[in-house]
Amino acid sequence: MTVRSGSSVYRRRWFEFLTPLGQPWRLILGVSIWVIFFGIWEIAVLSGWVNPLLVPSPVDVLITLYELFAERGFLSDVGISIARILGSFAVACVIAIPLGILMGSFKAVEAFANPFVSAWRYLPAPAFIPILLMWFGTGEEPKLALLFLGVIFFLITLIMDHTAQVRTELIETAMTLGGNRSQILWTVVVPAVLPNVLIAMRQMLAIAWTYLVIAEIIASTTGIGAMMMRARRFLHTDDIMAGILTIGVLGLLFDVMFRWLYRVLFPYLDQGER
Amino acid sequence: MTSATTTAGVSAKLHLQDVSKTFRVRHGDDIEAIKAVSFETPENEVCVLLGPSGCGKSTVLRMVAGLEEPTSGELMLDGHPIAGADRERGMVFQAYTSFDWLTVQANVEYGMRLNAVPKKERRERAAHFIELVGLTKFSQSYPKQLSGGMKQRVAIARTLANDPTILLMDEPFGALDAQTRWHMQELMMSIVEAANTTVLMVTHDIEEAIFLGDRIEFMSRHPGTVHEEIIPDFKRGKRITTKEDLIGLDGYGDLERHILKLMREQGGDDTDH
Repeated sequence: MTVRSGSSVYRRRWFEFLTPLGQPWRLILGVSIWVIFFGIWEIAVLSGWVNPLLVPSPVDVLITLYELFAERGFLSDVGISIARILGSFAVACVIAIPLGILMGSFKAVEAFANPFVSAWRYLPAPAFIPILLMWFGTGEEPKLALLFLGVIFFLITLIMDHTAQVRTELIETAMTLGGNRSQILWTVVVPAVLPNVLIAMRQMLAIAWTYLVIAEIIASTTGIGAMMMRARRFLHTDDIMAGILTIGVLGLLFDVMFRWLYRVLFPYLDQGER
Repeated sequence: MTSATTTAGVSAKLHLQDVSKTFRVRHGDDIEAIKAVSFETPENEVCVLLGPSGCGKSTVLRMVAGLEEPTSGELMLDGHPIAGADRERGMVFQAYTSFDWLTVQANVEYGMRLNAVPKKERRERAAHFIELVGLTKFSQSYPKQLSGGMKQRVAIARTLANDPTILLMDEPFGALDAQTRWHMQELMMSIVEAANTTVLMVTHDIEEAIFLGDRIEFMSRHPGTVHEEIIPDFKRGKRITTKEDLIGLDGYGDLERHILKLMREQGGDDTDH
């Protein structure tokens, strides 16, 4: 490994405790694991080690992905899936953020709501699928409800915990400056916890994707998951893999978007130099 | 409104009479943290609560701030009883309390904003106190870009700009490195002179107590109470702006020795804190 040449008498070795790695090397190594992964996959298919019907080559998957978008209207499935995620996640946030902040701020609210919230957290959301199907049929409602149930109770708990961790001295400072309860809530607690609320949202949005796929696989004719289930019936493994790839890329995009939002909304958390 | 009177005959801003605080740990298992604390702080004086750790000096300060309730006793400011936190008793903490999401200027304006001070006056007062603590160049910076000493200066300016009757400080320089602490103590000296405020301050730094204190309430522990009131007479009439000024004075060494002895006697050598 070449790490800064010079007159140093230190030996440079590949594996060293407590030694940081330069950005170029980090990038090269990060890309190479994917190159190796796809390389082995491609070789396995080309050399006939695996049945191409069950394991299409990565190149085939990419071609299929292109066809899906260009010729088979896959974009509308993707759009429907994203709309489901954003719709139910928005409703969950509208309830969870104020409730979580109030629970983290006031012990009485916590004592009242937390026994309910924490009990629901231990009920796996997919357990509600049969009853949701009976109540709502196969329309949009059961999917939105599943996503909502899967996300909201964890979101409330995360936001409550973050709010409870707002430093006591900040609140006490505002008290000795003459702030009343609602002033302190709005001008200290909320701005102090907001960055962590965004982080909690980012974490829970990733979980929401899991429930979305479950909902679409079980009972849906539209969306990414539904496309993958249709493909299974016709042994189109390339379609299925293209679907998985799409979900992965979308998840990554949302993650990047949240990171960007964090930097834009909370520039004051940047420590001077970049 | 009648003010209580100190032995010296000066009107007292702050008056504590037989203040006690008992913490209930388990059923029937009470710990008497503070017992019968009485002292007075005259107007425009700096009163220091000094003592070994565990003597309850911070608890006394927090009761004055209205952040904790006494079990019994009387706490009065300007002749009226203290009941809960209020802008008249602004507090500076040892931990940094700058609001990260506000600029230095907005931090200093914060208390005045809570109290609906008109914008123009807010701006002017903030600018004045930011200058007083020497942060004018940084008024548009965010706290994350400031050093620890600068953050404490923001906290001091923010509290003073809110025009409290008494400024409370809980080991405000305790988290700073030695050199910064020393600068801050000298800065504090000039601020007290310029802003003409009454201060109640907690510290366990003997030199800091003698340097800043017009009177020192030395507290002992188990239970925590005022063991001795010390008035550093040797400073009277002298102009002290630096640590060297203080240490050069006759009487400084004797007082420091006296307080060290008290610390040793009252501090004990148990390690329960």
